[in-house]
Amino acid sequence: MTASAPELADVQGVVTFGYRDLGLARLALLRAGDPARFRAWLAALAPQVTTAEANPTSTAVNVALTPSGLRRLGVADDVMATFSDEFLAGMTTEHRRLVLGDVDESAPERWAWGGPSDPAPDALLMLYALDRAGRNALVEAQSAASRAHDLTEVWAMDTVDLGRREHFGFRDGISQPAIEGVQRSPRPDDVVKAGEFLLGYRNEYGQITDRPLVPADRDPGGALPADAAGSGLRDLGRNGTYLVLRQLAQDVPGFWRFAERATLDPEGQPDEAARERLGARMVGRWRSGAPLALAPEADDPALAEANDFRYGAAGGRCPIGAHVRRANPRDSLDPRPGSDASVAVGRRHRLIRRGRPYGSPNGSDERGLLFMCVCASIARQFEFIQHTWINSPKFDGLYDDGDPLLAPHRPSGGTFTVQAEPFRWRYQGLPRFVTVRGGAYLFLPGLRALRYLAG
Amino acid sequence: MTPQVGLSVVCPLLPGHLDQVRALLNDIGARPADNEVLPFGRASGVHFGRLLVLDEATDLGGRPLPAQLLLMADLDGTLDAGLAGLVEAGGAGLDALLGHCEDYPADASAASRLAFLRARSIASDAFYTNTIGRTVGQVRDEARLRDEIEAHLDGCPELRALPPREIRDAIREHVRTRPDLAWATEPAVERDLGWRLRRLVWLGALPLLVLVVAVALLPLTLAALAAFVIVLRLHELRDPVTRDRPAPEHLLELAAIEDHGPQNQFSAVGFVKPGLFRRYTARLVLFLTDYGARHLFAHANLAGVKTIHFARWVALDGRRRMIFASSYDGSVESYMDDFIDKVWWGLNATFSNGMGYPRTDFLLFHGSRDELTFKHFLRAHQVPTQVWYSAYDRLTCLNVERNARVREGLHGSMGAAEAARWLALL
Repeated sequence: MTASAPELADVQGVVTFGYRDLGLARLALLRAGDPARFRAWLAALAPQVTTAEANPTSTAVNVALTPSGLRRLGVADDVMATFSDEFLAGMTTEHRRLVLGDVDESAPERWAWGGPSDPAPDALLMLYALDRAGRNALVEAQSAASRAHDLTEVWAMDTVDLGRREHFGFRDGISQPAIEGVQRSPRPDDVVKAGEFLLGYRNEYGQITDRPLVPADRDPGGALPADAAGSGLRDLGRNGTYLVLRQLAQDVPGFWRFAERATLDPEGQPDEAARERLGARMVGRWRSGAPLALAPEADDPALAEANDFRYGAAGGRCPIGAHVRRANPRDSLDPRPGSDASVAVGRRHRLIRRGRPYGSPNGSDERGLLFMCVCASIARQFEFIQHTWINSPKFDGLYDDGDPLLAPHRPSGGTFTVQAEPFRWRYQGLPRFVTVRGGAYLFLPGLRALRYLAG
Repeated sequence: MTPQVGLSVVCPLLPGHLDQVRALLNDIGARPADNEVLPFGRASGVHFGRLLVLDEATDLGGRPLPAQLLLMADLDGTLDAGLAGLVEAGGAGLDALLGHCEDYPADASAASRLAFLRARSIASDAFYTNTIGRTVGQVRDEARLRDEIEAHLDGCPELRALPPREIRDAIREHVRTRPDLAWATEPAVERDLGWRLRRLVWLGALPLLVLVVAVALLPLTLAALAAFVIVLRLHELRDPVTRDRPAPEHLLELAAIEDHGPQNQFSAVGFVKPGLFRRYTARLVLFLTDYGARHLFAHANLAGVKTIHFARWVALDGRRRMIFASSYDGSVESYMDDFIDKVWWGLNATFSNGMGYPRTDFLLFHGSRDELTFKHFLRAHQVPTQVWYSAYDRLTCLNVERNARVREGLHGSMGAAEAARWLALL
């Protein structure tokens, strides 16, 4: 039961790297045919999988599996039962729709993929490349390999490079946790135990998160590491983790139209500065990335990467309901706002975000974010954040304010409150700006687990 | 000041009636406020109400326990008045439910219904109220007051140009001139001399007396404490821990009635560990829990947790089992996280006398920090709350408390800084 440093050679690269230099990606969901050929495909893929040892400079390949994929690879029911309930039940159960806000336009029946009547995918292939030519070559090679192994593509999407911005126009991906023992961070608040993002390690409770385990006799070759908790079982989860994928369509014109109409000047004319300010307040950062907490009145590109701040006991200058504050409230919440104790509680609800934008920023085609995140507990991390912080109209003492960007507001529209002197501004009638188009919970195995699953 | 009480009624079911009762509760559960059997919303002073059934079971000694119907409510005022109100609201409709219980009279009257329920009512071992003295009427009225003030502010942007005190005066004037809000010009709770005296006794005199006696008999106190710790430790080292994950079907059944609004319910039943030591430790801890709930955590904050409206522990089956029932804000995941992150000591002290709880160290420590074992334990012991009523289902505890502070701020004079702080509540 040692607190060993993560074995990076056994961890898939997407856990530790955002592959920022590899500007173009393609995500593809595959459905397997013959199980033996599925295993052969995985065996052939395993040596190509990018690990967490070194940040790749030309291409990267990672692979994750769904419950259906694991079963087709031959994982027995008793072992399947050791995966987490959320992963096994999937994203589209009746209750999970309430938790995730996947209702109305975002209901799984209306999804482009991953819905209850869509074919269940078995694997997610994540391909990253420097440029278009690199991606084309990678996609071509991988498509040939999957076809040769009887896999069919049920969904695929190319990402676009918006230069670290998302489609609403804001700099994205600034705040990330750092995995203790692997990554460094100038902010101690952001350093999180490895067990929050990797299975088989101690988490923020000092516990080893529930993980898939295999009886020793089903791993006679000893491909898998021993369970660190000393159960005598072999750890199928170690150095693996869970991965959440969601396709989030963004209504960019709708967002800015709302901001403009809510801030018309007394003559009824658009007020560009006021529109930008409202947009920034809903996000919690300005377009440059400068946080409202440090730049409350106007954008300040010098603070574009600024992340070393807390909201403070007094609540600070960023609206309580702003998107980035809800997604990572830092020190804002109980037990003692403004204290390390509150930061420590927040550390149990962090995500490593690996999303990328899709769709052209011009024209009328669908565009949005392929949201992807990594966490060891889907329930305590992704679902908790989505339900208790993002979607909850009651977040941090509010009354009726869901996340201004993401929440599924009531039919009459949502409310966004900007705390101010002498009294608050209240914007009502917020429409839904983000619609869910698909999603899946996946298992991102470690390299040894991949080889074990490939037989 | 109107106190809040917890009504708990436990009625063994006639053999073979469980399925019918369950079906009936499902119907009632679809319309808890207004149904033909027990319309909680038609009785006054009911904050929360619930009905649930416990399956037949076998106790730790192998003896059978019958299926039982549980009625619980968090009420304003006295138990007798609250129960009478519920019986009146249900009327003869109650017979459709209570007729499945043992010894229910054939030709029930209003008086016999009341007598039947009163005879089966059990006092809570510990009862927690978010804010003692705040009535249902007050909660609802103050929510309306806050809505009206917010709407008034939206409609009067010109107020922004005024200094805080004048904005506050304008709001007070608006409230004063609205006949339907006139009540708000009076403060809510009169904390009378009797209340202050009782508080002095409970918080000052009584603990002091206990301390004096303990010090006077110091050798005895220390010996007793040492003996307790040694026996406790022996128990802790050998008590079995359940690590089973709850069945997926059980989780689905629980989840089906969760997260339909900002509030949720929780009901969990478990056996007390066998033996006199655990039985009396449980009683002592729950006595202290009740004391703490009534005197230390009587206003909107349970040791850092501000999301619990009501909670109670009630002994069942001659103290062989306990039920814990609560109404809280947010998801069960966040509720359990609060248990682990903020009030772990209290959860450990009370729940660790229950069979299978994750191992504690010296009653207070470790236990719930074994996160997933603890969460699995809670979920496995949870029973579906088939009928659950809330008198203010769109309000969180934080909303209720803030609304009360908005109303309080309408009274008396304020300086500029104080008025600015009050406006920040809106």
